[in-house]
Amino acid sequence: MNRLRRVLWSGLSVLVLAGLWWLGGRALPEVIPGLGETAAALVVILTEPGPYGNPWYYHVYKTAEMIGLSLILSIVVGTVLGVALGTSDRLERASSSWIYGWLAVPSLVIVFVMAVVVGFNAAAGYIAVTAVITPFVALNMWEGARNLDPQLAEMATFFGADRYQTFREVIVPQLVPFLFAAVRSALSIGWKITLLVEAFLLPRGVGFMFRRNFDNYDLTMMMSWLVIFVILLVIVEYGVLVPIHNRLTHWRPEVEGVRVSE
Amino acid sequence: MTATEEASQPGQDASADLALRGIVKHFEKPGQGRIRVLDEVDVDIEDGALVSLLGPSGCGKTTLVNVIAGLVEPNAGTMRKGGREVTPADLSLGYIFQEPRLLDWRTVRRNVEFALEARDVPKTEWDDRVEHYLGMVGLADEHDNYPTRLSGGMKQRVAIARALATEPEMMLMDEPFSSLDEITAGDLRQELLDIWQAEGMTILFVTHDINEAVFLSDYVYMMSGSGQMFARREIDIERPRHYDDPAIAEREAELYGEFHEHVVQ
Repeated sequence: MNRLRRVLWSGLSVLVLAGLWWLGGRALPEVIPGLGETAAALVVILTEPGPYGNPWYYHVYKTAEMIGLSLILSIVVGTVLGVALGTSDRLERASSSWIYGWLAVPSLVIVFVMAVVVGFNAAAGYIAVTAVITPFVALNMWEGARNLDPQLAEMATFFGADRYQTFREVIVPQLVPFLFAAVRSALSIGWKITLLVEAFLLPRGVGFMFRRNFDNYDLTMMMSWLVIFVILLVIVEYGVLVPIHNRLTHWRPEVEGVRVSE
Repeated sequence: MTATEEASQPGQDASADLALRGIVKHFEKPGQGRIRVLDEVDVDIEDGALVSLLGPSGCGKTTLVNVIAGLVEPNAGTMRKGGREVTPADLSLGYIFQEPRLLDWRTVRRNVEFALEARDVPKTEWDDRVEHYLGMVGLADEHDNYPTRLSGGMKQRVAIARALATEPEMMLMDEPFSSLDEITAGDLRQELLDIWQAEGMTILFVTHDINEAVFLSDYVYMMSGSGQMFARREIDIERPRHYDDPAIAEREAELYGEFHEHVVQ
């Protein structure tokens, strides 16, 4: 399916969704904000400063900042941890249940504990988000390290490649798809925890705005913020993640089962 | 079969003959105890010759080649070249594995350059070598292509070019054509012979295919399933050899008989 058709199908699905929304708004007006009202509220959000005089993009920026920095931190820590587990049998046997345990702790508990220990501030937020998403990165990188091809390593050893060359040309490219999967799962959880942290602990951010409007039972405003948030997600997905993914995998065959040269 | 004096290969030099004596290697297998993979193996690889290690799967031929390559450390035995004791690091070697073992995320050119970089070949020589050796294996136009878009035979050719580019004195080849279809394998065998005769290096070729060994080699070392080198047999058939030469089939049958005798003892 070529690009144009894909875009058209996506556009169609968005239209269908909008249509369902409109119907829902007419059928259950107390529960589902109408399409028109949401659009009007959206305009208000975008043009007028909100609580504490902060414009909409301040909240969006703060949310993006928290998930962004936490992601970077969790990638560093998670990769080191995951690769260590994947390459050392001893370490793996000693710590594997511990990692699974870490994954199983409810994120809400982690957030609240951080709030109590660190305080109701942004620092607690950064630590909490990082703490929740790091095991996702670690698990993916662990799998990646375990799946390193020993035959390629043997080939590199035979030719006498030094550590740096082997790392750069043989090991890292094999880990990249796993790193990508790690970033994806960490990001998808991370957004949610960031909103959670902002809703409970902080006076700014998209999560805070949700909470604020929820407290006022302003469903229309909540829905508008949801639209803004979804647009942000889509921008990150198609503007950042997909291009990076395409760049990193351009050596793969484009069409399955077809050899370009024989 | 006549024993013909072959036209002397460029680079033929008895003092460069590699001699292995008493090579022993055992592995610990959990649950099976200690397995002797190489049992006092003696091998002479004459300079400029094409020598095959022939034997059934699992008889230790790959292990022996890995000992020479320095990938496996023997438990006993010596390696001498021209009388002097040597280690794998002293030898100038190339290795073609059974699988191409290419870096899928690098172009064909960059794959060859990987070996050049690993061997500290000066960058100024890279372009010439890449062009020359890719041309030698018939892949001059594929240098910007990726391995995932090549056929199995082409990938193996890239692997050959990669090993050749380091200009080794001895090529180690571990069943390099066994995963290819017979037609492609036949083509590559002939190309290998052409390259061998043009470049004059020594080749140690591992195979379980008696026909292949007879077609390619000057002489053959036969290994049993218990890691023992039990015979060396000269293949005295004039070159160029043809697949349909009855002398090849005859020699093949003789060797097969010997294996059968020895292995079914």
